Amino acid sequence: MVRKKFSKKEIAIGIACTLFVLLVLSFYVWHQTESVSLGYDTAEMEQRVIQLEKEVEKLETVKSSLLTLDRVENIARNKLDLVEPKDGQVLYRDIDKER
Amino acid sequence: MKGYHQKKVKKRTYFLAFLFVFWMGVLVLRLVQLQVIDHAKLKAEAIHQSQNINQIKPKRGSIFDRNMTILARSIPRYSVFSQPLEGESRSAHWARIKSIGRTLELNQSKLLAIKAQIDKDANFIWLARKIEEKTADRVIDTDINGIYLMEENKRFYPQGRRAAHVLGRVDIDERGVSGIEYRYNTTLQGVEGEGLISRDAKRRRYHFETLKAPVDGKELVLTLDETIQYIAEKELEHAVLQSRAKWGTVIISEPSTGEILAMANYPTYDLNQPPNPPTKLDRNKAVHHTYDPGSTFKIVTVSAAVENKSVGFEETFDCTPGYVVYAGNTFWDHERLGILSFHDVFVHSSNVGSIFIGQRIGEDNLFRAITQFGFGQRTGIDLPAEERGLLNPLDKWTKISVASHSIGYEISVTPIQMLQAINVIANRGLTVPPKIVKKINGSDMEDPSPPIHQRVLSSDAAEIVRNILFDAVASGTGIPAQIPGYTIFGKTGTAQKFDRDTNRYLSTAHVASFVGVVEDRSPLFSMIVVIDDPQGHFYGGQVAAPVFRNIAKNILRYMCVPPAQKSLDTLIASNTQRPNNE
Repeated sequence: MVRKKFSKKEIAIGIACTLFVLLVLSFYVWHQTESVSLGYDTAEMEQRVIQLEKEVEKLETVKSSLLTLDRVENIARNKLDLVEPKDGQVLYRDIDKER
Repeated sequence: MKGYHQKKVKKRTYFLAFLFVFWMGVLVLRLVQLQVIDHAKLKAEAIHQSQNINQIKPKRGSIFDRNMTILARSIPRYSVFSQPLEGESRSAHWARIKSIGRTLELNQSKLLAIKAQIDKDANFIWLARKIEEKTADRVIDTDINGIYLMEENKRFYPQGRRAAHVLGRVDIDERGVSGIEYRYNTTLQGVEGEGLISRDAKRRRYHFETLKAPVDGKELVLTLDETIQYIAEKELEHAVLQSRAKWGTVIISEPSTGEILAMANYPTYDLNQPPNPPTKLDRNKAVHHTYDPGSTFKIVTVSAAVENKSVGFEETFDCTPGYVVYAGNTFWDHERLGILSFHDVFVHSSNVGSIFIGQRIGEDNLFRAITQFGFGQRTGIDLPAEERGLLNPLDKWTKISVASHSIGYEISVTPIQMLQAINVIANRGLTVPPKIVKKINGSDMEDPSPPIHQRVLSSDAAEIVRNILFDAVASGTGIPAQIPGYTIFGKTGTAQKFDRDTNRYLSTAHVASFVGVVEDRSPLFSMIVVIDDPQGHFYGGQVAAPVFRNIAKNILRYMCVPPAQKSLDTLIASNTQRPNNE
């Protein structure tokens, strides 16, 4: 039995084809891995955005509850010792007329 | 020998080939079974293992006042639930839940309810709903198998008890059960969606796909003004406590649009800690409660008299005795008022004079005026369970009905109906239905109900009535409602309460009220104050009119409406004379 001898050119083509196939397969695997990895990142980011939006709403609500007029009046009267103006202590300026 | 050997090799080769073909055949058949026959079932199983379809709860719409101050908003909160583990006994499940009981602060009755569910082999048991963030963190720290957290929303009212009766409340599943929350539940709650969650072999989520997007609830913008609401609630609370009354209500509106600026009730409650189960405290007296209006109803009597020209303005009525006997019943004035003109009858709120005028109007005209003003019908305000009041049909009127109706008895009205009546005078004879929702602020702006104006009185008649009511405040029973430098018209009311047990009016229990309008060239706002069963002073002028004045004064300051120039000069002069004024 005589084994056929491959020429150098044929060997080079063979190696090139094999490398190409390996490259394509590697790219495919890399692409899949990256896609899944990006999927994780995107899902995480989406969750983060949702969480931050919720946090903003929560802070707005907290701000609103800190600015309730009962609380503001209580602080004004009891901590800052402010009193209501008496009649005549409030002066009105007609800005439209002044213009 | 060689032939035998070759034959044996050939036989083995065939056998191996057969085995190979058979194995291939088995594989092919198995593939057919997996890919074709069981395809649907296996696909579903695979999807079940790697993907879940979850309900996406929509966010309940927020509620704002007219200046976009948050009145109600849903904020995320965690709920805790337990599921039995694979092959877990009831006692083990119970022990597991008990171990987290202290963290969740579960009381004995709650634990017993959970135990009952375990005994029924329930597959899903709520342990605590909508817990505080710190408690949720502690639950996470315990890391007990089979105890899970689920994110839900909890309704939060940042202003606490502000406008509690208007906003109403929601149940644990965020369904509106009273007030605006109930009336606009469908608008606020939105529509559930569906999402597909893809997970890897370690059950980690790596992809989320929205199959059906949830539609968040729309946001409501109310006509209420938080500051005016605060002023009204504060003054009302003070008045009810000071007069040791049972309850009180105040409504403030913008006459030209019918928009309610404030609707206050006292006693009230904190919406974040509502009474459970709901009690009478939940009732919004401004629209749910009916009462005999007494003298404030003379607005209708005077309007009917002017509109029908039943009485000449120069005519006088003898009210000297201080009482009148009508169809066997005696009606009294609050004092002997002497001989009064048509104008003075209403300025001084004479019952005797009003009855004489009522007779002249006649029952047909009086009844027509009452219905045209909207009594006996709902105003149509966008709040649930509005009462229509009690107005007997004309064929059920008795001999004394004209007299009774002329002075605001034998008829039951709601505070909102009475406010609508004064708005007719403020709007020069036009009625504008009250409303409390300004905008439904979703993807598109909608005006839920454009106002419908109906003429009840001629413009001239309304102007005459307005002037009489102006004098009632300037020099009549409504003097305590005066604010120097501002134009106010209105009417006081003091009505004896009707006792359903004895079927009589009580001489010891009253409803004091004042209904009026503050003007600055055009009507700025109208207001009704109703105080139920005040102790000590009980006249509307003594109890309700000062509340009107105090509220109106603060609102005018808030609205930056200066007093008339003459009054302003006086005030500045008196101020500059005061030493160390700063």
